[in-house]
Amino acid sequence: MTSLPPGLIMIITAALLPFVPHIWRQGLMLGAIALSAYGLILGAGDHLVWQVLGYDLVLYRADALSFPFAIIFHIAAALNVIYSWHDRHWSQHCAALSYAGAAIAALHAGDLITLFVWWEATAVTSVFLILAAGTDSARRAAMRYLIFQVLSGVLLLAGAAVLAAKTGSIAFGAMTLGDSASWLIFLAFGIKAAFPLLNGWLQDAYPEATVTGTVALSAFTTKLAIYALARGFAGTEYLIWIGAAMTALPVFFAVIENDLRRVLAFSLNNQLGFMVVAVGIGSELALNGAVAHAFVHIIYKALLFMSMGAVLHQVGTIKASELGGLYKNMPFTMLCCVIGAMSISAFPLFSGFVAKSLTMTALGDTGIMWAYFVLLFASAGVLEHSGIKIPYFAFFAHDRGFKTGEAPLNMRVAMGIAAFLCVAIGVYPAPLYSILPFAVDYHPYDASHVTGQMQLLIFAMLAFVVLVRIRLYPPEIPSVVLNSDWFYRRLAPQIGRPVLGAVMLVWRAFLCQMRGFIGSFWFMLERLLRSPIAGPTIPGPAALVQLLLLMGVLVLGYVAAGA
Amino acid sequence: MTSKPSQKTLDMQKLGRHFTWFLIAIAVLLVGLELVVHRHGVAAIEDSFMFPALYGFLAFLFIVQVGKWLRLMIMRPEDYYEGGPSDD
Repeated sequence: MTSLPPGLIMIITAALLPFVPHIWRQGLMLGAIALSAYGLILGAGDHLVWQVLGYDLVLYRADALSFPFAIIFHIAAALNVIYSWHDRHWSQHCAALSYAGAAIAALHAGDLITLFVWWEATAVTSVFLILAAGTDSARRAAMRYLIFQVLSGVLLLAGAAVLAAKTGSIAFGAMTLGDSASWLIFLAFGIKAAFPLLNGWLQDAYPEATVTGTVALSAFTTKLAIYALARGFAGTEYLIWIGAAMTALPVFFAVIENDLRRVLAFSLNNQLGFMVVAVGIGSELALNGAVAHAFVHIIYKALLFMSMGAVLHQVGTIKASELGGLYKNMPFTMLCCVIGAMSISAFPLFSGFVAKSLTMTALGDTGIMWAYFVLLFASAGVLEHSGIKIPYFAFFAHDRGFKTGEAPLNMRVAMGIAAFLCVAIGVYPAPLYSILPFAVDYHPYDASHVTGQMQLLIFAMLAFVVLVRIRLYPPEIPSVVLNSDWFYRRLAPQIGRPVLGAVMLVWRAFLCQMRGFIGSFWFMLERLLRSPIAGPTIPGPAALVQLLLLMGVLVLGYVAAGA
Repeated sequence: MTSKPSQKTLDMQKLGRHFTWFLIAIAVLLVGLELVVHRHGVAAIEDSFMFPALYGFLAFLFIVQVGKWLRLMIMRPEDYYEGGPSDD
C-alpha cells in the first residue's frame, strides 16, 4: 500500500466521492490525505519502477527535494477540505482532491513521461474549479487556462521525446539549458511558473474560480513548477533575470487592480519570482530558500485567499471599490487576513521572514547586487499590495454599511489553522529548517537583520499613511487592468481576424480561378474529343474510355512480361 | 450637502489616528535602535544611516506613482473584455 505513489489514493478516493453522502465526505477526504501522507514514510529512494518499451517509468521517487513539497501539498489539501466543508455538492470536492492528488503524484515522478501524465492531470482536474463558478466569464477563463496548461504539457512531452531520442533516457534530473529538449522543458515549466509574458493565465483564471476553488488553485500548480525548476534547472542564470522581473513587475499591476483576489494573483506571481531567483542562484542556501519560501508561501497565500474568499462568501463581492469597513462584522477573518498579510510581508516573527531571509542572504552571497536591490524593492511592493491594500480595502477604508456576520465555522477553523502555522513557523522555524533539502546552519533572528527589515517595512507603511492622509493614494476604481493575457484576448483577435479575412479572400479567389481553369480544361478536352479528328462514328468520351482501357491492358501486359 | 458620517466611519478614523501614532512610535524606536545596533548589510551602502527605512519609504512612493501612470495606460472599463471581438 505504501509503495503506491503518494497522491494516487487521493485520486481514487475522489472518484468515489459522488457516491458518498455529505456527512461522510469530508472525513473520507481527510482520511485519504492522511493515508497518502503516510506513504511518505518510505523515505528516499525509487519505490515503484515500471519497465515499458525499454524505458524506466519511475512512478514513485522520493528524495530530500520532493519531501518538503509533499508535506506542504498534503497540508494544503487538508486545509482546503476543511475550508470547503460547508459545500454540500460533490463536484468541487472531487476536482480539488484529485487535483491535489495529481500534484502530489507529480512531485514523485522520477521520469519525464510520468511527470507529463500528472502535469496534464493537474490541468484537467483543476479546470473544473474554475468552471464550477458557473459564470460565462469563468467558462471563458477556464478554456484559456486549459489551453495554456495543456500547451505546457505538450511542450514537456515534446522535450521528453527529443531527450529520449538523443540520449535514450527519460529520467527527470538536473539539465543544462542548451539543446532543444532542455529549452522545450524549460518553457513548459516556465508557463506553469508564470514567467513574465507567460503569466496571463494566472491572473486571468484564478480570480474567476469559486470561493474554495481559488484557495486550492493557489497552492499546487505554480509550486509544482517551482519544484520542477529546482530539480531540473537549479543554477540556471537566466532564472535570476526572469525571477527578478517576476518580483518587480506584478507589484505595479497589483497597486491598481480592483479585484482583491486578482491582486492576490499578482502577488502570487511576485512571490514565485523570489523562488525562481533562488532556484537560479542554485547554491544549497538558495535552494533551501526556494523550498522554504514555497512551503510558507503556500500557507500564507492560502490564508489570504481564504480570508478574501470568506469576504466574497459573506458579502458577494471582492472588488475594492465596493468593499470596506468589515472589521467589526468579520473580526476573526480580519485578524487572520492581517496575520497572512504580515507573513507575506516578512515581518519578523512571521513565516515569510524566516524563509525570505534565506534567499536574500544567498543572493547577497553571489554578489549580484542589482538583483538583490530589485528583490528588496519588491519586498516593499509585497507590503504595499498584500500587506496593506488587501486588509485595508476589505476591512477598513470606507464604511459600506454591510450587515453581515462572520464566515462559516469551517472557514474560520481552516483560516485559524493556517494563521497559527504562519506564526508558529515564524517564531520557531527549526522544524521547517529540518526538512529542507540541505543541512541548515542559518539564524534569521540577529539584531541587524531584524532592525533592517523592520525599518524597511515600517517606513514603507509610513509612506502609505502619508499618502492616505494627503489624499494622494490612488482611489479604488471599478476597472480592468490589462495584463499579458491582453495579447491573446484582444490583440491577436484584432490583428488576426483582418489578416485571416484577407487570407481567406485570397484563398477563395485562388479557388475560383482554379475552378475556372479546370472548367476550361474539360471544355477544351470535350471540344477536342468531339472534333472531326476523333472520327465521325465514335463519340469523344467513349474513345477516351477505350483509350484508357487499352493503356491499362498494355501496362498489365508489360508488367506480366517483366515478371 | 454631505451626509453625516456613520459611527463606524468615525470609529475607523479614530483607529486610523491611533495606528498612525503607533507607527510613528515604532519608527522613532527604530531610529533609536539604529544608533545602538550595529546594522550591516550585504552591500556597503546598506550600512549607511537608516538606509532600509529610506529605501522602503521611497520604494513605496515610487510604486504608487508608477501605478498611477500605469493606470493611464492599461486601465480599462470593467466591461472591456465583454462585447467587441470575442476572446474565446
